[in-house]
Amino acid sequence: MPSSKSALSLLLLASGLTAAETPKVNFLRDVAPILNKTGCTSGPCHGAAKGKNGFKLSLRGYDPQFDYEALLYDLSGRRFNRADPARSLMLAKPTQQVPHGGGLRFEIGSAYYQTIYNWIAQGVPFGDPAKDSVRRLEVEPKEILMHGPGESAVVKVSAIFADGGQRDVTKEAVVESNVPDLAAVTDASVKGARIGEATLLVRYQGNFITVPVTVLNPKPGFAWKALPQNNYIDRLIDAKLERLKIQPSPATDDAAFLRRVSLDLKGLPPTPAEVQAFLANTSRSKRADLIDRLIASPAYVDHWTLKWGDLLQNSRKYLGEKGAFEFREWIRDSIARNKPYDAMVREMLTASGSSYENPAVDFYRVTRDPKPTMEKTTQVFLGVRMVCTQCHDHPFERWTQNQYYEMAAFFSAVGLRPGYEVGEEILYDQRQDYDMKHPKDGRVMNPKFIVPATWSSAAKPSDAPPTDAGRRQAYAEWITARDNPFFAKSTVNRVWSYFFGRGIIDPVDDIRASNPPSNPALLDALTKDFIDHNFDLRYLMRTIANSRTYQASVAANEWNEKDTENFSHAVPRRLSAEELMDALSLATGVRPVFPEAPPDTTAEQVTDPHVGKDGFLDLFGRPARESACECERRSDLSLPQALNLVNGKTISDAVADSAGRVAKAILSGRPDRDVVTELYLASLSRPPRAGEIESGVHYLEGGSGRAARAQDLLWALVNSKAFLYNY
Amino acid sequence: MALSLPAADPSYFRDVRPLLQRQCQGCHQPNLKSSNLDLTSYQGVKEGGKRGSAFGLLVPFLTGEMKPQMPLGQPPLAPEQIELVRNWVAAGAKDDTPAGAVEGPALGAPTVYTQPPVLTALAFSPDGRMLAVSGNREILLHTLDGSQPPRRLPGLSDSILSLAFSRDGSLLVAGGGVPARFGEIQFWDLPAGELRRSVMLTGDTVFGVSLSPDATRVAAGCTDNSVRIVDAVTGKELTKMGAHENWVLGTVFSVDGKRVVSVSRDRSAKLTDTATGAFQENINLLRGELAAVARHPSRDIVVIGGEDRYPYVYLMDRPKNMKIADDSTLVRKLERQNGAITALAWSADGKRIAVGGAAPEVNVYDADTGARVAACRGHSAGIYSVAFSPDSATIATGGFDGTLRLYDAATGALKKAFVPVPLEKATAGAGGAQ
Repeated sequence: MPSSKSALSLLLLASGLTAAETPKVNFLRDVAPILNKTGCTSGPCHGAAKGKNGFKLSLRGYDPQFDYEALLYDLSGRRFNRADPARSLMLAKPTQQVPHGGGLRFEIGSAYYQTIYNWIAQGVPFGDPAKDSVRRLEVEPKEILMHGPGESAVVKVSAIFADGGQRDVTKEAVVESNVPDLAAVTDASVKGARIGEATLLVRYQGNFITVPVTVLNPKPGFAWKALPQNNYIDRLIDAKLERLKIQPSPATDDAAFLRRVSLDLKGLPPTPAEVQAFLANTSRSKRADLIDRLIASPAYVDHWTLKWGDLLQNSRKYLGEKGAFEFREWIRDSIARNKPYDAMVREMLTASGSSYENPAVDFYRVTRDPKPTMEKTTQVFLGVRMVCTQCHDHPFERWTQNQYYEMAAFFSAVGLRPGYEVGEEILYDQRQDYDMKHPKDGRVMNPKFIVPATWSSAAKPSDAPPTDAGRRQAYAEWITARDNPFFAKSTVNRVWSYFFGRGIIDPVDDIRASNPPSNPALLDALTKDFIDHNFDLRYLMRTIANSRTYQASVAANEWNEKDTENFSHAVPRRLSAEELMDALSLATGVRPVFPEAPPDTTAEQVTDPHVGKDGFLDLFGRPARESACECERRSDLSLPQALNLVNGKTISDAVADSAGRVAKAILSGRPDRDVVTELYLASLSRPPRAGEIESGVHYLEGGSGRAARAQDLLWALVNSKAFLYNY
Repeated sequence: MALSLPAADPSYFRDVRPLLQRQCQGCHQPNLKSSNLDLTSYQGVKEGGKRGSAFGLLVPFLTGEMKPQMPLGQPPLAPEQIELVRNWVAAGAKDDTPAGAVEGPALGAPTVYTQPPVLTALAFSPDGRMLAVSGNREILLHTLDGSQPPRRLPGLSDSILSLAFSRDGSLLVAGGGVPARFGEIQFWDLPAGELRRSVMLTGDTVFGVSLSPDATRVAAGCTDNSVRIVDAVTGKELTKMGAHENWVLGTVFSVDGKRVVSVSRDRSAKLTDTATGAFQENINLLRGELAAVARHPSRDIVVIGGEDRYPYVYLMDRPKNMKIADDSTLVRKLERQNGAITALAWSADGKRIAVGGAAPEVNVYDADTGARVAACRGHSAGIYSVAFSPDSATIATGGFDGTLRLYDAATGALKKAFVPVPLEKATAGAGGAQ
């Protein structure tokens, strides 16, 4: 269509019709920004999926061609009047000369009015994308440093056009803060409201740029107290903390460390014997040794099999009972052998044949269709969400709708057909109607990566025919390439979040320019280290767990108490559903019973959400594995959960079980002091403090029913925050 | 905020003007000046008609104190509407029109064009000698032999979206209005070129206005989702059908004039009895909004089209008993167009169907076989209107680019292309409201 528009412009020029002394305006450069700035293209208005009141524009104006046609061509050119521009509906509506659901957007005679008027008077030229598109934005200042809350700054935004032209677009640009209560934005002015860091996202015509904002603590008297640094993590964390005047908390005590690292590496708290042995150990390297032992333990394999089962959505809902079991075994085997992470991902992405012979095929059986499969690969393996771009260009990223279908085209021929056994499926690359078509115009999309990789594979995606596994081969090579800008980075970030409750980029599976890392240097260093060590997940976890940063106390000081994103102190995290159930099992000495699973199966070992469905695990936020989003696992503490802890059968039965820890301790005839100590060790993973022993003993001696009193004590312990949280 | 008026003060611009526009201007306009009164401007209200200034007369005529009660032949206005007028008169009948609010030029002065307007409606006169073309606030009557300059028929409506001649050529019906303000059906006496009647209806333009074969009634598609049938002699609304769920963009009568087919943005085509307004049939299996409809000259077969780019030929009558969601009336699905369909025409000899749309071309099909016989190219943008000449030999096309093109219907060869309005050079510094 651009050719037809220029033909019209030519016609007008030839007739000497163009208004001579008004500024030349066109849609791309002048009018489209007004539609965006005045809210016409916003989600609640004409940018809605179905438009508003019969008039639809693209969301936030991502598709100027579409908007141009909607404004001008719809309903016999209803919205503009070339013969009498001031009578145009597109001027009468926003100036409320006629009823407009969206209200007054600008005044008659205002600058925006005049621009649209002139544009209509000049024959509604579209403009030339090769000249009038915005290529990039520039901002001034490039970063904002405030020395305390209350300071403010103004951002100046310039657009650089394809023809090299430059324009101040501060008025039309949209400036938003990712932490509005820290950096409050009004138009292009930003005010620091509290100490910390935020990022401004500046958007204009599909382009965006970010501006970091730092608000320092103005309090006088900060003096950096250097703490021991165990490895590069601590050096990079400290470098930033010192700059922000945040004093990190020192390493926590041995018992708290033991409990924390045991839960994080193997999903189980330490046994009373492990606690006592660790506290008695005087070796200087005992923490590092412990980390090595935990990583080598069978429970480590269970714990990370569970995590990957979540992310890969292993569930009999999609895979059948045998399928879910087989897929879990495949994941488990990969973890147990410490298969390099890139190899594990490649095996899944390139899997073919029988799901029973090669359970890696199950990766495809969960999502089945090319589009959700592609979305899952980017969200899980790259931390990139493509889902918005199925319907429109990404509002906060550079990904386009075209790219969605180009990426999905890598999987377009992947098909599944029934195998020979019940529940078996065969993956092949000969699906019927395998062309990936763009929904707008039905054109066939060829596979193309969202970012080019410079890897040295022989496979070139566009060369491979659709029905050739070569497409998936190329995709696997690209995704796991060392120079893929997302793969290793998103992985270390995700793993980091399992140890801190928060990613360096957070949420971990929503990496985009407008969601920057809190410590880019640290993320880069971890990424490089992970790649240099051949995508070794155990090495990565060992490095993190050995850092002082990971081992920091939860206790905050006056300089770091408000910090939430720089890892200056530990943050208590509620135990996951499975951890909680297994910790209860350890504390009470009563194993959970899963009718669908072999005896002695722990919560961490269950195959999929079908096991123990609708019970304690689901109540405490176990994900249904219906989404690849990390957010599917709930970690809040709700009222039904609290009531279950206080009143629920799971806990009261276990505490009172006749074969349980309390019953055995009472029957053994050991003194009260020993019983109290054991209950503390088994629940809170630490010996009771002096006062706690006294009051515990006092309570047990308090009258008849010693066993019931011991049960009460254990019940109280497992209902304490120190039990429910990993701190 | 030039336009924000305190809600309590009675306002001409906000309250009274829109009311006069919708309810009164059909008759009290410069072209008709019933009672020598023009209510299309504040000045006209102030000066009034044969009984003097309208300031003091508006309320008595609206309440029925003075006869005949206004609006003539229509239900009286709601009490609160009359109250608005009463309060405004009581407060001094002031003109509070904000500077820059544009009411359009007076009807006496035809539009001065510096650019060709979009062409939204075309119709050949039955004798084939004239072509009626939509203009801005006017209709232009071109003689096809070019022997005379076009006659200009100025009216209230900025947009003329449909044009239709009666078979005897004595009546020209035009449908249109001003977007988001009012709809209008104009009845022009030919050859005199005088406006016989203007019927104002709804708060927006009317679409797809068609004339019954006996020229007694007019069907109009409305933005209140209704189809209205209006008496072509008295101007009275005869029937209002409300079965559609979105704007109605096209209508056509059956051969005997007893039924009407309407197409709508609700993706359906509906068949309705014009006498009773009773809904009879539906075509609702299509996946896109429908925008255009045309009927075979002598049989109850229609072609419909819209967003999904396929022209569909349907029978108005079922060849067999209906089953739920069957499509047994579908005769043919023509080839997919390169853009959404906006205009359809069936030749007078019944042999050809012309299809225009968002793509800058008009395709001509053999109505019996569905084969494409010609493609008319040359427009630089989308098509809004197509019409066959009475001898079926010529197709007139118009659309976004403002150029009228005449093509040989058999070959698609261009016969003539011209801008159908007189163009002036732009005045220097043509600006906005100031």
